[in-house]
Amino acid sequence: MAQAVPANQKWWGGGRSPFNVEYGKLMMWYFLMSDAFTFGAFLIAYGTVRFSSNGWPDPNVVFSSFPFAGHAHLPLVFVSVMTFILIMSSVTMVLAVGAGHSNDRKSVLKWLFWTIIGGIAFLGCQAWEWHHLHDQGAWWGMNPFHNFDGSEASTNFTNFFFTITGFHGFHVFSGVIINIIMFIMTYRGVFDRRGHYLMIEKAGLYWHFVDLVWVFVFTCFYLF
Amino acid sequence: MSNEALHGHSEVVTTHDVHHDEHHVHHHKETFITKYVFSQDHKMIAKQFLITGMVWAILGGLMSVLFRLQLGYPDQTFPWLEDILGRWAKGGKISAENYYALVTMHGTVLVFFVLTGGLSGTFANFLIPLQIGARDMASPFMNMLSYWFFFGGSIVMLSSLFIQTGPFSGGWTAYPPLSALGDASPGSKTGMDLWITAMALFVVSSLLGGLNYISTVLNMRTKGMSMTRMPLTMWALFFTAVLGVLSFPVLLSGFILLLFDRHGGTSFYLSDIYITATKQALPNEGGSAILFQHLFWFLGHPEVYIILLPAMGMASEIISINARKPIFGYMAMVGSIFAITILAFLVWAHHMFVTGLNPFLGSVFVLLTLLIAVPSAIKVFNWLTTIWKANIRFTPGMMFALGFVSLFISGGLTGIFLGNSTLDIHLHDTYFVIAHFHIVMGVSAFFGMFAGIYHWFPKMYGRFMNNTMAYIHFWVTLAGAYLIFWPMHYEGLAGMPRRYLDYSGWESFKHFADLNKFISTVAMIVFAIQLMFVFNFFYSIFKGRKVTTTNPWGATTLEWTTPIRPGHGNWPGEIPEVHRWAYDYSKDGRDFIPQTEPIGPNESHH
Amino acid sequence: MEKFETSHTAEHGHEEKHSFDTKAIWRTFWILLVITCIELIVGMFIAPHFHSLKLMFNVLYIIFTLAKAFYIIAEFMHLRHEIKNMIMTVAIPALLFIWFITAFLWDGNSYKNLRNNYDPHHKEQSKVKAEAKPAHGEEHGAGESHGAEKPETVH
Repeated sequence: MAQAVPANQKWWGGGRSPFNVEYGKLMMWYFLMSDAFTFGAFLIAYGTVRFSSNGWPDPNVVFSSFPFAGHAHLPLVFVSVMTFILIMSSVTMVLAVGAGHSNDRKSVLKWLFWTIIGGIAFLGCQAWEWHHLHDQGAWWGMNPFHNFDGSEASTNFTNFFFTITGFHGFHVFSGVIINIIMFIMTYRGVFDRRGHYLMIEKAGLYWHFVDLVWVFVFTCFYLF
Repeated sequence: MSNEALHGHSEVVTTHDVHHDEHHVHHHKETFITKYVFSQDHKMIAKQFLITGMVWAILGGLMSVLFRLQLGYPDQTFPWLEDILGRWAKGGKISAENYYALVTMHGTVLVFFVLTGGLSGTFANFLIPLQIGARDMASPFMNMLSYWFFFGGSIVMLSSLFIQTGPFSGGWTAYPPLSALGDASPGSKTGMDLWITAMALFVVSSLLGGLNYISTVLNMRTKGMSMTRMPLTMWALFFTAVLGVLSFPVLLSGFILLLFDRHGGTSFYLSDIYITATKQALPNEGGSAILFQHLFWFLGHPEVYIILLPAMGMASEIISINARKPIFGYMAMVGSIFAITILAFLVWAHHMFVTGLNPFLGSVFVLLTLLIAVPSAIKVFNWLTTIWKANIRFTPGMMFALGFVSLFISGGLTGIFLGNSTLDIHLHDTYFVIAHFHIVMGVSAFFGMFAGIYHWFPKMYGRFMNNTMAYIHFWVTLAGAYLIFWPMHYEGLAGMPRRYLDYSGWESFKHFADLNKFISTVAMIVFAIQLMFVFNFFYSIFKGRKVTTTNPWGATTLEWTTPIRPGHGNWPGEIPEVHRWAYDYSKDGRDFIPQTEPIGPNESHH
Repeated sequence: MEKFETSHTAEHGHEEKHSFDTKAIWRTFWILLVITCIELIVGMFIAPHFHSLKLMFNVLYIIFTLAKAFYIIAEFMHLRHEIKNMIMTVAIPALLFIWFITAFLWDGNSYKNLRNNYDPHHKEQSKVKAEAKPAHGEEHGAGESHGAEKPETVH
């Protein structure tokens, strides 16, 4: 049944997947491609508006707080913690996928658990950051921060910040939901019955994509 | 469909197991709901898309008749208009706001709901599994969702026609600030919110469909169906899906930002605005209206090819079949589709030459735009060389395919005028533009669609459409299309601007009054003939001449190896294996050789 | 849709001997961590002292970001180990971003110049210092940066 395909047969020859992947994974990849254009459009729109403005607030000034650190000036520290959490959860996700490859249900559950915790932790951090900024008077349509040169800034700094990090946070949130569903399905042995853990792999792709987007959001908002 | 596949080092095999098929095809009861409503059969979903698209086409066409009535007879009143339109046409004359609403809805409906949803929704769904040799789409469930999101979007868009403040009326491109400020016009209030909602649903539908088309074409081809053995329809629909998947999300981002501008107090697109209606200066600062145009046209231009590529693919296929000759330059055709797909993403700002775009940047866009002429010309010459010295069968499908080529040439040539930013200073926003895009993407895509419908109708319903009505339909539509849009070129060159309710106040355009009257009259005749086509379509479903052979056109492709009315699963037995490309017509003294026939020992090379 | 199964179930699990390379994952993790730390150090301690080199730092950040993106896609998302044609179907569309970004930013910049050239009022307004009302809880940071330290605009 599973034809052993002769080595010289062309990959594009039909009759099997040219990429040696199952269609769902292919769809996930192209969905992520499409989503990359959604995020790309947001970030590029942000860049365009920033390029067309005479001034822009300094991220080192805006993002300089840390929970329980009072008024200490700690630019970038908190967001680096967030980045670390997300990268860490990406690692645990790969480990879950790897465990799925060897049909090791216990390890899959363990690593998925840590991934979910990581995701929730990230969302918590983001909630704190939003809350803190909101306390300072920042929101959609409200920008308390001044430009680098001290002139009045337009509201687009906060507009884009909340829209894009919000959209990213929404992706993290849906990723956590997906991972929880995966966790329950694994727990119930659905994948053991199927004989493979491909679903975990697809959820993993989505999760890494969320991490990938964060890398760009981090650069565009916190470093530039 | 669950995801049963091998992973790791083993091969993922997508051929269909014989035993498997025998067990499952035809052995399940289907209820009316699962068969006709929430169907997961790609053929039924295709028909759902087609019929929804036809309903939209009639509505969109009717809108154009109504505003042509105003343009052709600006000084007259038509009391019956008030009877059917109510407060839209008080005293028998369409009011200015509603004229704009009609124009906006006409554009939105025809571009998105007819020529995107109705065209590629229909033919990608119908043809992809049949022509590559698959039982169904990769994910029939997502495919069904794709239709129902389209349907949901349709309902929301339709509902916007009936609300108090009317549908959106700021043009189908929805430029801010008209689209961003509720105070800008009545249509910019709830109508615009519904418009955005409907479009968002449409984007979801197109994404679900597109992902399915791509992974089906890549992953589910039958044994022997290599990419270069696929009919050109498959290549065209594949790249159409690629265009949609990569460009619609950008539009969605633009819409999300627009929604925030409307309801979130942001100023992404807004700056320095004073509203006369409310005598109010807005506090919004720092936004850029040009940004929206960039985001819109980043989709908007690929959208033109989303509309056009399926028509090109189907015309190629139908021309080759009815010329009984192999398509000329198959690989060149594939290459030019690919080139068009890439270029489609690089040229969007040629819609914005006069909006304040940097002129030097504009010149780069001119260069990229004019490059599109190369693959387009390759395609045109390949169609012409395919019919060169051929023994053509003038079936209705073939007539429309040839009409498509004619219209694509005439409309494409004026594109070269408009692609030059300096000429655009004079020509932008005139009737020249209207004439250009209606011929090259409106009517010609419709011709591709008609060609496809006439050609594949026997496969869809097991009957033929009525030929007499088909020929009347063809000649009236072709002549009508040229009579409507050709004169508009002259009006445009004379500087007559688009999007005006009434030209009679202009001394310089007074002499076009009779011409406008003429255009309007022809438009009404052409619209009436389309109703005849719709009648022919539905009449033939039930009363058309029955198809008696599985391959009525003598075509090589796989869809004609299925039974006359294929069930869900397409082939009752094993899926046929493919041994050759799709264009072995008039070869070695034979009329045609189906793709399923192995290469003979003495066969010549093509 | 069990009906038209496209493939075959029989032999999963048996040939899954290809064990996941856990070492490579941790190596990727360390690379990502180190790059982020470098970015952090540059952003916190070095860049604020060299304002005239802002452009150079931005280029540096872009390089770091692309490196991180490469490792996430190649290793975590496993793309490096897929078939070359599949890598191409992801890589080629991604190239569209080059012109997407270039044209948008180019025109954004041009829009700024256009307004500054033809709307002197706009230019003047954007130079006016806001009255010192630092955001709540931001006395230190905001106060410091409002000096004449940072005259140039950001790109």
